[in-house]
Parts: sequence; C-alpha cells; structure tokens
Amino acid sequence: MPRVSREAEVIWEGSSAKGRGALTAASSGAFAGLPFSEPARIGDPEGQTSPEELIAAAHAACFGMSLAAELTRAKAPPERLTVRAEVVIDEVEGGNHRIVSSALTARARSRIGKDEFRAAADAADAGCPVSALIRGSATVSVDAALEQEVV
Amino acid sequence: MATERRAEVTWSGDLLGGSGTIERVGTGAFGPLPITWKDRAEEPGGNTSPEELLAAAHAACFSMALSGALARAGHVPESLSTTATVTFVPGTGITKSVIDVEGNVRGLDDAGFREAAEAAKENCPVSQALKGNVELSVISKLTS
Repeated sequence: MPRVSREAEVIWEGSSAKGRGALTAASSGAFAGLPFSEPARIGDPEGQTSPEELIAAAHAACFGMSLAAELTRAKAPPERLTVRAEVVIDEVEGGNHRIVSSALTARARSRIGKDEFRAAADAADAGCPVSALIRGSATVSVDAALEQEVV
Repeated sequence: MATERRAEVTWSGDLLGGSGTIERVGTGAFGPLPITWKDRAEEPGGNTSPEELLAAAHAACFSMALSGALARAGHVPESLSTTATVTFVPGTGITKSVIDVEGNVRGLDDAGFREAAEAAKENCPVSQALKGNVELSVISKLTS
C-alpha cells in the first residue's frame, strides 16, 4: 500500500495565554481558519475547537471505519454505525497537561450475533491506527453494542 | 482540572463502498463533514480524514506550546506559521508527524528558536500522546 500524507496549517499570533490561532485542513480544504486559543482549550470552549476535540473526531472516524471493515469481513456490513469519542486532557504532576484517555461509545445496526459483534468490535479497536497511537500513552476504552441490545 | 472534548461520527455500509459523517463536535466548531475510505487512503477529494485531523491537532498543540515557551523566555512571538504533515501507511499504521514552523519572533536567534521548537515538539500534549508510536520531527526557521 502507498504512503498517504495529510497536512494541516496553523497561523498563531501572540503568547499562549493571550494569543490566538487559526487552523486550516490544508490537504482536503474541509475546513479553514477555525479559531482556537489556550483559554478555550482548557476552559469554556466558546465555540472554538481544540487539539483534544480534533483527536476525538479523528478517533471516532478511525474506529468507525475499522468497525465497518470488521463487520463487512463478518459478512454483516453495518446499515448504520454511531461512534462517539470523548478525549480527556488533565493536569499531571509538575503542572503539565497530558491527554489521559479516549473513551469510545459505538452503536451498530447490523445483522450479526452478539458474540460475533463483540469480536468485530475488539478487532476494530486493535486495527484502528488512532487507537494504537493513543494507547501508547493513555487509556482507550470501547463500549460497543448492537442497537437491538440497548433498545 | 480535567477537560473533556467530544465528537460523534456515523457510518453506513462497508469500508470501501460506504461513507460516513463527522456529525458534530462538542464545541460546534465544525461539522457535519463527510468521510470515506477512498478520500482517506487515496486523494482527499475535499474530505477530511483521521490523519488530517491528527495533523490539525498536532499543529495547533505545537503552536500553543511553542508560543508559551517563547513568551516565558521573554520573546512573545509576533506570529508562528506551522504545518504538520502526518503519514499513514494503510495496513501498518500512522508512522510519522513532521512539523514545519516559521516564526516571526523579535530578539531571538536561529539557535534559540530551534531549541524552543525542539522542546515544544517533545512536550506538547499531542506530541506526548504520539511519542513512542510515531516518529516526530520539527523543522524550524525564523523569518525575521
């Protein structure tokens, strides 16, 4: 398989406490000039995205694709998947901030048995490159269920 | 104090022929954004991907960490222009993130800027999360 590169661009002005940035998806153009700032990252977001929110979006998208692939392998491509990711950043010893966890919640509409679904969800987590990255330094948890189980 | 940030994605169909949407994020800053496997693994076709979102997270995080370190050393930057390039090898994983930063910073020489950029590359929370699994590097240049 070929290597794939994706680029994003930031323009930042000023100090971290009072400055502000603008963020652009340079490869795709899917978004441009999104504002971000340090106070909005840790406190009230006031509509501004943050590195942790972008990682949550990356993780949910990555896991969704991996789970679709695993369900297809099990001959039950999903009619619909809903994946939520919640990424937590916290202050650790020494006053530094670290990303400590990403919690995935997935609900699937798919014609598959419970046990096979569980196995597909485990394989999706093992195969999702973003899960592998985050797991190197933080906790990844997966709560996956078929819609008919939770209704 | 812990801070949580959230995103929600939906997907319909198999990986190659199906498609998904980053429906919403907690702050409302972006979305809905369509996603497909083809756009992720081949040409982006106007659609974002997990790797582009990681590049965005890394560029934003690095820029904040660098501006903080520069400000603490008494050199608040006029501006920083940062690009992060994330490399994905399907079947292998995410292998690399390269930061390229140009700074307009008064009263600092190239060596001082390079040192601050290296430190930000090591210490920003997204670097910390990627480190160990992904090769990280930084190219830095002062423009004034």
